[in-house]
Amino acid sequence: MDIAPYALQLFSGLSRAMVLFLLSAGLSLIFGVMNILNFAHATLWLLSGYVTYSIFTVLSQQFGASPWMLLPAIVCTVALMSLFGFALERFLIRHTYTRELPEQLLLTFALVLILGDVIKLIWGVENRRINLGVKPMEMLDTLVNPYQFVIIGTGIGVAAGLWYFLHRTRFGKIVRAAVYSRSMVSALGIPIPLIYSGVFALGVGLAAFAGGVFLPLLPMSLGVDHDIIVQCFAVVVIGGFGSMFGTFVASIIVGVVYSFSILFWPDGALAMIFLILIAVLIWRPWGLFGTELRY
Amino acid sequence: MSAGNSNWWSRFYARYGVSGPAALIMFVFFLLVPLLPGEFWTVVGTEILILGLLAMSFNLLYGYMGQISFGHAAFFGLGAYATAMLFTSLKTPAGAIEIPEFLLSLLVGPPVAALGALIVGFFCVRLTGIYFAMLSLAFGELLFYIVFSWYSFTKGDDGIQGLLPPHFFQDASNYYYLTLAIVVAALLLMWRITESPFGYIMRTLRDNQRRAAFLGINVRLHMLMNFVIAGAFAGLAGALWGPFSRSVSPGLLGWQESGIAVFMTLIGGAGAFIGPIIGSVIYTMLQAVVKMYTVYWPLTIGTIILLIVLFVPGGVLGLVEKQLKARQGRMHDAGNGTDET
Repeated sequence: MDIAPYALQLFSGLSRAMVLFLLSAGLSLIFGVMNILNFAHATLWLLSGYVTYSIFTVLSQQFGASPWMLLPAIVCTVALMSLFGFALERFLIRHTYTRELPEQLLLTFALVLILGDVIKLIWGVENRRINLGVKPMEMLDTLVNPYQFVIIGTGIGVAAGLWYFLHRTRFGKIVRAAVYSRSMVSALGIPIPLIYSGVFALGVGLAAFAGGVFLPLLPMSLGVDHDIIVQCFAVVVIGGFGSMFGTFVASIIVGVVYSFSILFWPDGALAMIFLILIAVLIWRPWGLFGTELRY
Repeated sequence: MSAGNSNWWSRFYARYGVSGPAALIMFVFFLLVPLLPGEFWTVVGTEILILGLLAMSFNLLYGYMGQISFGHAAFFGLGAYATAMLFTSLKTPAGAIEIPEFLLSLLVGPPVAALGALIVGFFCVRLTGIYFAMLSLAFGELLFYIVFSWYSFTKGDDGIQGLLPPHFFQDASNYYYLTLAIVVAALLLMWRITESPFGYIMRTLRDNQRRAAFLGINVRLHMLMNFVIAGAFAGLAGALWGPFSRSVSPGLLGWQESGIAVFMTLIGGAGAFIGPIIGSVIYTMLQAVVKMYTVYWPLTIGTIILLIVLFVPGGVLGLVEKQLKARQGRMHDAGNGTDET
């Protein structure tokens, strides 16, 4: 049996899974802590991609072109976007905590439209991507872009870091406690508003990181965020709201299923994801690894 | 103001709320739209009515039953495709279609959409809140991708073109009046439904499902019935859409289209019966005007939604109602002096 095409799909599926994980982890944290379903999450990711692109271009002009310029570009973008996320929570999202679900959704959806057009205003309608000039690698009788391994490795690294942060650091433990009971955390004298802004900034920071890391592989183009956000919703629901491990597993399921479906049913690959989502919602609405408590 | 007049008004207001006068005023305006010079506003008016009907059907789920659906446009699209397919098979090779056949193809939209809503709703009504929203979104997207990729049956992303209505209805005003008649009839039926005991069961389900269950109401069955009714009305809107825009495309089923229904409802006010239509008037007219000057329509509507969510939570009609209540309260105070404690 010729395994080359399957191996290719597996690698591209796994790297796709990593970007889904980086986005969904933030989405899941924000929903878990603040009960806000952030429609604009993928749009913030897209914006970060464009910002990384611009910083990368400027750096390359200043200090000479080199693939390594991507690193400082990503760092700058993550810092900038985290700050932006912090401000967004403080000045906008905060006003909707006492509102009903549809109004919160509407507010973040308004951000999708606004940010989408802001991107169009600043960067125009052309796609942006970075060409790192990495040579394809020969593997299993086929050519693989080695950058995919960088992405898969980074994704696993971030997942491990996130686990360490949530389970071993003080701030992380507070965040996890806030997922279970906001009022209890607040009663213990922990400044909940600051936690909210911090978690939102962290989520946006993760999205910004994903935007930068993925730039050499996938061109950033207007409107992709609309596709990605519904897939992230699928990931978060399949894995279970609030479960980081569930989000990780669900990202891999969705990413790999997607890239294998492309082999058999190119136009309907996304339909497969929604079939899985429907099955999970009917069978276990709280997700594969979520707890019935929150449901 | 004479006492009789005031009595008439207060009875009218008590019976129909802010929706009554708003509906009457709008109906008069809607009757006069084709008298405006040029076809532009007639076409915009038709769009307002069709999308308004879609938003009204969405509000049966949201405003009355308290569940938010992000897949409601799927039934709009199903109705549109059902009509478009029958339309295509009934028309002559030259592309002409007779009026009876045309009306027949319109009639097929609602039942097909209702059937789809029956299947989707069967699963959705088991959930509430965010899970209801997610499952309806997933079903909507699934239907979207089926229509999108099943090229041999639905023509995929090419859509179905050439839905030219009969000669009489090719005139913008005639099609407008046909749409107006159908939409008004649909709204009267909807009003009847929402004011029936069934409609009050819906409000109970919105406010407290557990209490409704204790009162002996079959919660899931009633939610499913409402889901199917809402789907049928969305299908009717879809049926009108195809011949209006001369084509249908998979985008009609997508979640962005569902989002438009949600916008309209929240702009107009979900709490009033007629709110979604007001929302459609504001949204569609604004879109028509803004698009003449700039391509940045999403930025404009996004900013408007942002402002509405932050500052006008009840929508436009909610604001009007609040003002009216405040004024009535003042008049009441003025009449009674200050003996309120």
